Amino acid sequence: MRGKLHINGEWHSFHADPATPLHRVLREQIGLTGAKDVCGEGFCGACLVEVEGEPVAACLLPVALAECTQIVTIEGLYHDPVGRRVMAALEAEDAVQCGMCFPGMVMTLTHLLKTDPTTDREKVKHALVGNICRCTGYERIVSTACRAAKAMAEADVREETA
Amino acid sequence: MNLRPSLASTAFARRDASDKLRGRTCFTVDQAYQGHLQAYLLRADVASGEILRLNVSAARQMPGVRAIVTAADAPYQFGIGVADQRLFATGRVRYKGEPLVAIAADTLEQAKAAAGAVEIDIRPLPAVIDMAAALTEGAPLVHPDWDGHEVVLEARGARRGGNLAWESLVRRGDVDAAFARPDVTIVESSFAVGRQIHMQLEPRSAIASYIDGRLHLVASTQAPWTVKNVTARALGLPASRVRVTAPAVGGGFGAKYGCTIEPYAAALAMACGKSVAIVPSRAEEMLSCPCRENADIQIRSAVTADGHIVGREAVVLMDCGAYGGEQIYLTTMTAHTLGSAYRLGSVRLVSRAVYTNTAPNGAFRACNGVYNIFALESHTDEICQAIGMDSFEFRRRNVLGDGDLGSTGQVFQGDVLGPMLDKMALLRAKDDSPLSGKSSADARHEGWLRGRATTVGTWFVFVGPSAATVNLNPDGSATLVTAGVEIGQGTMMQSLPQIVAAELGIAPAEVVVHQADTDAVGFDVGVGGGRTTVSLGAAAVAACAEIRQKVTDLASRLMQVPSSKLILTQGRVERQGHPGSGMTLASLAQEALQITGPISGNGSFTRPGVAALEGCTSGHFLEAVDIPVFAVHDCEVAVDPATGHVEVLRYHVVQDVGYALNPSAIEGQIQGGVVQGLGYALHEEVTFTSDGAICQNGFGSYRVPLAQDVIPVVIELHEGAPSIGPWGTKGAGEVPILNVGATIACAVSQAAGLRVQQLPLTPPHVLAILQGRKLPLPPDHVQAWPARPGFIPHTTKSAKVADNLKGKDRS
Repeated sequence: MRGKLHINGEWHSFHADPATPLHRVLREQIGLTGAKDVCGEGFCGACLVEVEGEPVAACLLPVALAECTQIVTIEGLYHDPVGRRVMAALEAEDAVQCGMCFPGMVMTLTHLLKTDPTTDREKVKHALVGNICRCTGYERIVSTACRAAKAMAEADVREETA
Repeated sequence: MNLRPSLASTAFARRDASDKLRGRTCFTVDQAYQGHLQAYLLRADVASGEILRLNVSAARQMPGVRAIVTAADAPYQFGIGVADQRLFATGRVRYKGEPLVAIAADTLEQAKAAAGAVEIDIRPLPAVIDMAAALTEGAPLVHPDWDGHEVVLEARGARRGGNLAWESLVRRGDVDAAFARPDVTIVESSFAVGRQIHMQLEPRSAIASYIDGRLHLVASTQAPWTVKNVTARALGLPASRVRVTAPAVGGGFGAKYGCTIEPYAAALAMACGKSVAIVPSRAEEMLSCPCRENADIQIRSAVTADGHIVGREAVVLMDCGAYGGEQIYLTTMTAHTLGSAYRLGSVRLVSRAVYTNTAPNGAFRACNGVYNIFALESHTDEICQAIGMDSFEFRRRNVLGDGDLGSTGQVFQGDVLGPMLDKMALLRAKDDSPLSGKSSADARHEGWLRGRATTVGTWFVFVGPSAATVNLNPDGSATLVTAGVEIGQGTMMQSLPQIVAAELGIAPAEVVVHQADTDAVGFDVGVGGGRTTVSLGAAAVAACAEIRQKVTDLASRLMQVPSSKLILTQGRVERQGHPGSGMTLASLAQEALQITGPISGNGSFTRPGVAALEGCTSGHFLEAVDIPVFAVHDCEVAVDPATGHVEVLRYHVVQDVGYALNPSAIEGQIQGGVVQGLGYALHEEVTFTSDGAICQNGFGSYRVPLAQDVIPVVIELHEGAPSIGPWGTKGAGEVPILNVGATIACAVSQAAGLRVQQLPLTPPHVLAILQGRKLPLPPDHVQAWPARPGFIPHTTKSAKVADNLKGKDRS
C-alpha cells in the first residue's frame, strides 16, 4: 500500500505492505532511525514511539494502523519540554553508555513524568519493565527519573507561588 | 613527563550522550538501508552432515538477487589459534546454523526468498552435542581432518588431537607429594556452567563496498584490525586491500571482538560491485552467537589444618563449539583466574578446549574468568567448611600478597587483595543497617533463607600492541587518531581525551577523537580485555610526549628560554613558575606551520612482558600477566524455600582500579557489569535442542536482568596498586562481572546450607538443590585424580605443537 504518516508534525509518505511494522517504515523509508530495531517482538522497548500521546512498541504496530494518528518519535521528543528535560537529566547523570536503549528509555520516562511523576524508585522500575538496557544496570536511569520528578515538582511550586 | 593526574578533569562528561539520547547517533544498523543491498545467510539445518549437493542456479534467477557466494568462492581457512574454519561449511556441516550460502538482493525479503530456492542435499552424520560425548572413546570427530589444520599461534608444549582442540598445562612444585602428605585435608569439588549470550542491543552488522580494488567495511566491531585481517585471510586478499571503519557501536561485551559476519558482506560486495549490508535478526544473532562457553571445572586441594593450601589441581573443560576460535586462546587464562588469587604451595592445572557440533563460542566480558572464579570461590568455601575455618579469615590469610608466586611462578607486586578485603569488611560494617528501611520487603522475606558471602577474584588487563597519532592543530586543539572503538564503555569519549588533554595542557573538550579507521592509524588489538585506556592511553601518552618535545623546542627558540624550563598548561606554553608568560599553544602551532611544518606525534605501546618460572607452563600464549586486576565482592541474598527464587538484597564491590581517571565512568561500568553478572548467576540460561541448536531465540526466552531485578551496587574504588598503565590506571570495564557468579553462588550455598555446583541459579535449579534432587546440568565428566595432562581421549596420534617454539603473543 501507499500511505501517509503524520510524524513529529510533518506528513511523510511510505510504500509498504500494510502489515509492515511501523519501526521498519520509520527506519528504512523515512530515515528516522532513532527508534531502534532490537528484538522485533515488543520485549525491549528500544523502538518505542508516541502514538496519540501513548508510548507504543513500533515493532508491534502494523504501519496501516498508524495512518491518521499523531506520531512522535524520539527525534521529535526533543521539542517536548518534558522530553528535553529527561534527556538533559540523563546526560547530567552520566547515565548513557552504548546508547541503543536510551531513545526508548526517554520515551517511557517522559510519559511517566507527564502522567505520574514519582520519586519512588520501585514505581520508576515498574514503569521501566518494558525497557531493556544491557550496559548500565539501570540504577542511574532510575535515579535520574526520581530527580527529574523532584525538580519538576519544585518548578511547579515555584510557578504556582510566582 | 609533563603529566600530573591532578590536571586530569576527573568528571569529564561524555560527548556522545546528547545525540544518543536524541536518537541522532548513527550506528551501523542505522546506515544499513541507505541504498545498500541486503544480505541473508542460508544456514545448515543439521548439526553434522555431509554436503552431497548444493545448487544455487535457480536461486540466482530469483527476483532482486544481485550476488550469491558459496564455499567455492571462499576456500581459505582461518582461526585464532588453529586455522580450522572457513566462511562456509565445505563438504561437511559441523553445527546447526552453519552458513552454506550468502545471498545479496535488493531487499531482505528477496534474499530470503532466493535462499528458499537453493537446492541442498545433506546426509546427516552422527554428532557430538556436549563435551562428554565429544571426549568419549570412539566419538565421532568434529574435525576428522584436524591434523591438517594449520596451527596459527604456536605455543610451547601444546597438545591437540581429535575432539580435543587444545590443551594447556600449568605445573609448579610437587603436587603429588602435597596430596600424599599425612597432615592435609583433601577437598574435591566439581562445577558446571552453561553458556551466556551477550544480548548487546545492536546486532553484529556490517556494510561492505568495493571501490578501486579495495574493500571498505563499515562494521559494528570492537576490533577493526581483526576484521581487516580475518576478512582478508578468509577471502584470500592482501590485508592492505581491506579498510575497516567503525562508527558508534551499540554494545559488544565480546560479541564483536572476533570477526564473524563481516566477510560475508565483503564477499558479496566483491561479487557484484555494489554495497551490501548484513544485519542479522535477533533470532539469527542468537543462533550463531559467539557465546561465553559452557564449562566443566573439577578442582581439588590439599590444605593443612591451619589453612595453608599446599597443593591444588584442576581440570577445566571449555566447549569451543564447532571451531576453536577464542577458546583455544582462553585455555591460557585458567592459569591467571582459577590459578591465581591464592598462595599455592604447588599447583597443576589442565585446561582443555573441546570441539562439539554446536555453534562456535567466543569472547564475553572476563572470558574464562567468571566461571573459574565461581568454581574457585565455591571450592574455597568448601575448604573452609572442611577444615572449620571462617571463610573471610581463610581468604585474608591466603590471598596473594607482595612477592607471592602466581600459578605460573610469576612474582606478584604489592599487597592488594588483603587491604581490599579489609576495606570490604569496613564497607560491610558500615552498611549493616536493617535493609534500607524496606519494611514491606522485609515482610515479604519472612521465612526466606538468608545467606551472605565475600569473594575475591583476579583478572588482568589484556595489554597488547596499540598505535596512536596525535595532531596539534593550528587552533590549539588536538586530534587523536586511533583504531579504538566506542562501544559504550566511554573510553573514547572520556578517558582518552582526558589523557591527551592533560598531557598537552589543554581542556578535554579541545581533543577531537577520530573514529576508528584502519587506513588512518597503525595496528590495534581491539577493545577487549580491559585494555583500551591502558594500551591506547599509553600510545597516546607517547604521541603527546613527541608533541611536547617539538612544542618546547620551538618555543625555546621563539622565546629564548631553555626548553627544560617550559611547560604546557591551560592552552599555553609558558615558563615554569611564571603563569601567563609565553604564548598560546594555538599561536605556537600557527608559527610552526612556517618554521617546522605542522606538529604531530606518533606513539606506540606493547606489553613489556613479565617473567614466569621456566618450565611451569605448556600450551600457553601468555605465561604471566603484565597488569593483574583484583576484585572483592560481597552480597546478601534471600532465598524463597518454597519456589527457589533468589533475591539479592545488598551488593558491595571493592575494585582495584590503579588510578581512578574518571570515577563516574568506572562506577557506571561496575553497576552495569555486576548486573550482567547477576543475569549470568541467576537467570540467563542457554539450553540445547537434541540436534545441538540453542533453544533461546529472543528476549522472551532468554531472560536478561530488568530494572526490577537489580539493586544499586555499593562501590569503593581501590587506588594505588602497581600498574604500568598511564598514570597508574588499569582497565575497569571488564572486571566488574568477574566475581558475580561466585558471590551469588556462595551466598546461596550459605543460605541453603548446601553445595552449589552450577550456574545459573534459576528457581527450578535452586529448588532442586533445596530438595536434594538431581541437578539439571551435571558436570560432563568424572575426573580421575590425579589429573592426567597430555591425555588425548580418542586418538592414538597425539600431536604436540611445536615443542621448541617460544610462546608468541597473539597479534
